[in-house]
Amino acid sequence: MLTIENLQANVSDKNILKGLNLEIKPGEVHAIMGPNGAGKSTLGHVLAGRDGYEVTGGSVTLEGKDLLALACEERAREGVFLAFQYPVEIPGVSNMEFLKASVDAVRTHRELPAWDAVSFMKKAREACKAVNLDQQFLKRGVNEGFSGGEKKRNEIMQMMLLEPKIAILDETDSGLDIDALQVVANGVNALRSPERSFIVVTHYQRLLDYIVPDYVHVLADGKIVKSGDKNLALELEEKGYGWLEGESA
Amino acid sequence: MTSTPLHAAIAAGSTLTSHATTKIADVQNAAAHAWAQTPWPTRKTEAWKYTPLKALEKGEYFIPAAKSTLSADALKQFAINRLEAFTLVFIDGHFCAEQSDDLTQLPTGMTIEHLDDASNLEQFNKAAGEHATLFGELNTATINTALVINVAKNAQITQPVNVLNVASANAPCLANARILWQQAPHSKATLVEHFVSTQDSQVFTNSITELFVGENAQCEHYRLHLEDEANLHIGGVYSHVHKHARLNSFYLAMGANLQRVDVVTQFEGEGAEAVNNGVYLPRNKQLVDFHTCIEHKVPHCNSNEIFRGIIGDSARAVFNGRIHIHKDAQKTLAELSNKNLLTSNKAEVNTKPELEIYADDVRCAHGATIAELDALAMHYLRTRGISQEEAQVMLSFGFINELIEQLNNTAIVEYLRPVIAQRFAKKPEFLESLIHEALV
Amino acid sequence: MSQENAQSAPNAEPLSDADQQIDDAINKEYSAGFVSNIESDTLEAGLSEDVIRFISGKKNEPEWMLEWRLKAYHQWLEMEEPEWAHVNYPKIDFNEISYYSAPKSMADGPKSLDEVDPDLIATYNKLGIPLHEQQMLAGVAVDAVFDSVSVATTFRENLKEAGVIFCPISEAVHEYPELIKKYLASVVPVKDNYYAALNCAVFSDGSFVYIPKGVKCPMELSTYFRINEAKTGQFERTLIIAEEGSEVSYLEGCTAPMRDENQLHAAVVELVCLDGAKIKYSTVQNWYPGDEQGKGGIYNFVTKRGIAHTNSRISWTQVETGSAVTWKYPSCVLKGDNSVGEFYSVALTNNYQQADTGTKMIHIGKNTRSTIISKGISAGKSSNAYRGLVRFNAGADGARNFTQCDSLLIGSECAAHTFPYIESKNPKAIIEHEATTSKVSEDQLYLCQQRGIDAEKAVSMIVNGFCKDVFKELPMEFAVEAGKLLEVSLEGSVG
Repeated sequence: MLTIENLQANVSDKNILKGLNLEIKPGEVHAIMGPNGAGKSTLGHVLAGRDGYEVTGGSVTLEGKDLLALACEERAREGVFLAFQYPVEIPGVSNMEFLKASVDAVRTHRELPAWDAVSFMKKAREACKAVNLDQQFLKRGVNEGFSGGEKKRNEIMQMMLLEPKIAILDETDSGLDIDALQVVANGVNALRSPERSFIVVTHYQRLLDYIVPDYVHVLADGKIVKSGDKNLALELEEKGYGWLEGESA
Repeated sequence: MTSTPLHAAIAAGSTLTSHATTKIADVQNAAAHAWAQTPWPTRKTEAWKYTPLKALEKGEYFIPAAKSTLSADALKQFAINRLEAFTLVFIDGHFCAEQSDDLTQLPTGMTIEHLDDASNLEQFNKAAGEHATLFGELNTATINTALVINVAKNAQITQPVNVLNVASANAPCLANARILWQQAPHSKATLVEHFVSTQDSQVFTNSITELFVGENAQCEHYRLHLEDEANLHIGGVYSHVHKHARLNSFYLAMGANLQRVDVVTQFEGEGAEAVNNGVYLPRNKQLVDFHTCIEHKVPHCNSNEIFRGIIGDSARAVFNGRIHIHKDAQKTLAELSNKNLLTSNKAEVNTKPELEIYADDVRCAHGATIAELDALAMHYLRTRGISQEEAQVMLSFGFINELIEQLNNTAIVEYLRPVIAQRFAKKPEFLESLIHEALV
Repeated sequence: MSQENAQSAPNAEPLSDADQQIDDAINKEYSAGFVSNIESDTLEAGLSEDVIRFISGKKNEPEWMLEWRLKAYHQWLEMEEPEWAHVNYPKIDFNEISYYSAPKSMADGPKSLDEVDPDLIATYNKLGIPLHEQQMLAGVAVDAVFDSVSVATTFRENLKEAGVIFCPISEAVHEYPELIKKYLASVVPVKDNYYAALNCAVFSDGSFVYIPKGVKCPMELSTYFRINEAKTGQFERTLIIAEEGSEVSYLEGCTAPMRDENQLHAAVVELVCLDGAKIKYSTVQNWYPGDEQGKGGIYNFVTKRGIAHTNSRISWTQVETGSAVTWKYPSCVLKGDNSVGEFYSVALTNNYQQADTGTKMIHIGKNTRSTIISKGISAGKSSNAYRGLVRFNAGADGARNFTQCDSLLIGSECAAHTFPYIESKNPKAIIEHEATTSKVSEDQLYLCQQRGIDAEKAVSMIVNGFCKDVFKELPMEFAVEAGKLLEVSLEGSVG
């Protein structure tokens, strides 16, 4: 589904990704772990197409399509969803208005039937319920005045409505207590399907108790230095990243 | 309006003193010229829209004050207990070495020079000149004794410098006060400017203070206007705050019948911070006018300003707080708040918090309120058996005390608390309880 | 279009992609900028007593009206052009302007719409202002002012039944001289300011509205103004009188063709809101703003003021997206006890536009209340200033004001200013004023784009969200139009 080959990228002229390879098949969940500054968040932004993240080499294809040739919103419409580590506040624009615009754009692009206002509302309410978010949040400005946990749940709620092909969760678990973490994980698990893949970027192994990955990769200094199954995460939790030094060669 | 008696008086006045260096003479000539060219403000002059200068128009206040002295006993009443400052005394604008602390006993890292003998005049009038008002030009043109206070690089001076300005002449005259405060990089020091008066004085004080806070230096600055109401005071504080430096200023305006202070704080380097807080409490027919301006010239600087005032009797207050974000000053954070209480039917307040913004990635906010005391708080106190009158005093005092309590220097806090409480307390027993309560 | 923009700022730093997108999204073509090919009867440029006599003569005005104009003209001659506003423009030569222009076919005065030049009607249709009653949105009566004259007032008969007078002011001078004599310049005195005095001398037409006692006007009243002829000024004058207990909602829209030279628009609007009456006055101002280089555009120097008597309410709502220079302060004099003044404003400036706009709330009566919500959006190289005055006089016990002024900056070369004057002489009055600034941030755009929303739509959503508090005050029909107008203003050529 998603194929990343020798991906290299700069941020503010600094080389962050240095030849990253990753192959994700439909339905798989890949966890990406690694020390601070390894390039985990950068990977998410590069895939999403954020301005200022300059790809200097390599390729990324989504179902054979050259992702890097597309603008940020085109990638989103193709099915790339990024759950932000720090969701942005947009005062004055209601969550509902925002979601409707987003869902309309994505569905139109995929030539799916449009949702009328009633069915949209119904879906939005269901999604809210699924992540334990009060419906009132639909009426409030996008992320405006939301707590950290509410923002993260709002991201998952949006993901449910947009039904992406590949979802990238960028440290969606940081700052969450265990109850909120479970809510988020349940939301993700509910969306798991043979057609949908996930990249879960995290610092902490505990998330992976709830979202069980098919693969765990260690990203260090802009490259994947080790891959394994879920047990690798446990090993990392125990030993840290120090023992992996030297393996990047 | 260029040939009024006051201009004639000044033309004569500016030639009274002759200074040693050509730099000073040049600056003074330019200022004298600017003063002569600047029209006398009227109601239509934006910067003086709400502040009539009638009291000055006859020109009698432009006669330069003669040098006089006061006994050590007479000066005692102005002492700030526990401040343990290094005190410099000016009487009617003249420096009195004999009343001041011994200049040979300065704290380590500090030097004080007369302007005429100053080792380095590079910064003289640099901050004030750029934003000079009519009266700033007048001050510069007619400097007699100005002191230059230098804090050396890395010096951490705990002993505050207290510049005590006493208005004493009992006939109208002009006292010219001028301070040049220069802190070298990484230094830390405290300046207290204390303006007071003796009985029956009738002095027009025209004061300018320039503060240069060097890179990564910290300056704690207090300016207290406590003259009697027969005096007049127009002054300016002009600061340059350099990279990573911090200026913390507090202004109190309780004195003089006409008080106008121009506060201009300019950031000269990134990462600098400035706090300008102030309190004004005009009564009777006093007029207080603060014109503040924060010049955000460079990126990544923070400024915060809180001014509060209680205006009683037939008094008037003017507050003009400007935040000016220049084109390159991205990532600026600037906040300003001005709150006013009017306590009489004849009192008046005019406030204008201004934003002038030429950079987009900034966060600025200002707020201004004019209100009565909080009715609910008042009710609450009364349900606890406190009389309306006393409740009023308590809440008024509390409104101001919030800012006083934040001051870093506890000696200043202890000095000001009773001075301010006295303003509100109509009965001595209230005063006692206020001071006591605040101390607890 | 994006390339042109980049070229238009040779000294500017190269824009980042996000900046470029924002930049593109806010650029737009002026869609009302066509010139109508209508033969006009235009007076030669220049201002003199003769010109005033000419205008007065064209209108067949009574002697007292001419005298009034001439007196205003002499007062204007002695006044000075104001310079305090935060705007820059070359000095206006008042002798370069023509003070009267009328479509030729109007010369004999149309008796009905059928007699109006079809081109003129086509012009209004193009602007989306259908004059034919059958084409109209239900319940909106329109008076259309083209250059200097009123061309058609619709629904007049229906209104007459309710006792409502809605007609060109030139007609009111003849038909209702007592009302004109009583109220003209009663709110904005002749000598109020330079442009108001000029307007008194040369005003050619405008709307007159009279709502009798206790009548709730059965439909929205609306005037559309259009400047068509080159080198003409438009000096319309509107007078609305709401008698005791009456209510009216009045809408005004403005457009002008694209021309290289600047054109002057100096209008005066007076509202008389008697005891218990309500006037809601809404404006969508979309005069030609000039091109991307700042060439051409309308100078919009307008005086709008209402007097609110006891228990009455005046509400000003404006959406200002046009004009090269705007100088406008719709104000309320809250004279009567318990009267209410409101000002809701969205002002958008782009390219080289300059706006200095705001309001004055003068609290004279007891328990008077006012609300000011001002939203300024600056983009391009424009400058957008809020200037307001809130004054509590000594007698205004229990008066209240709340002011919220927010600025949104789009791009790094624009400017936003706030100059609120707050004056109180009353200890029992409460004022609260707040102001903030913000920008459309790259992060916000990124979030929207990551959710599949393109930059143009995202900027439009954010700007509309920013303006929400004002839009909800507009009458339904106008809210839609205002939303569209902003959208058009934000339309660009993104990818």
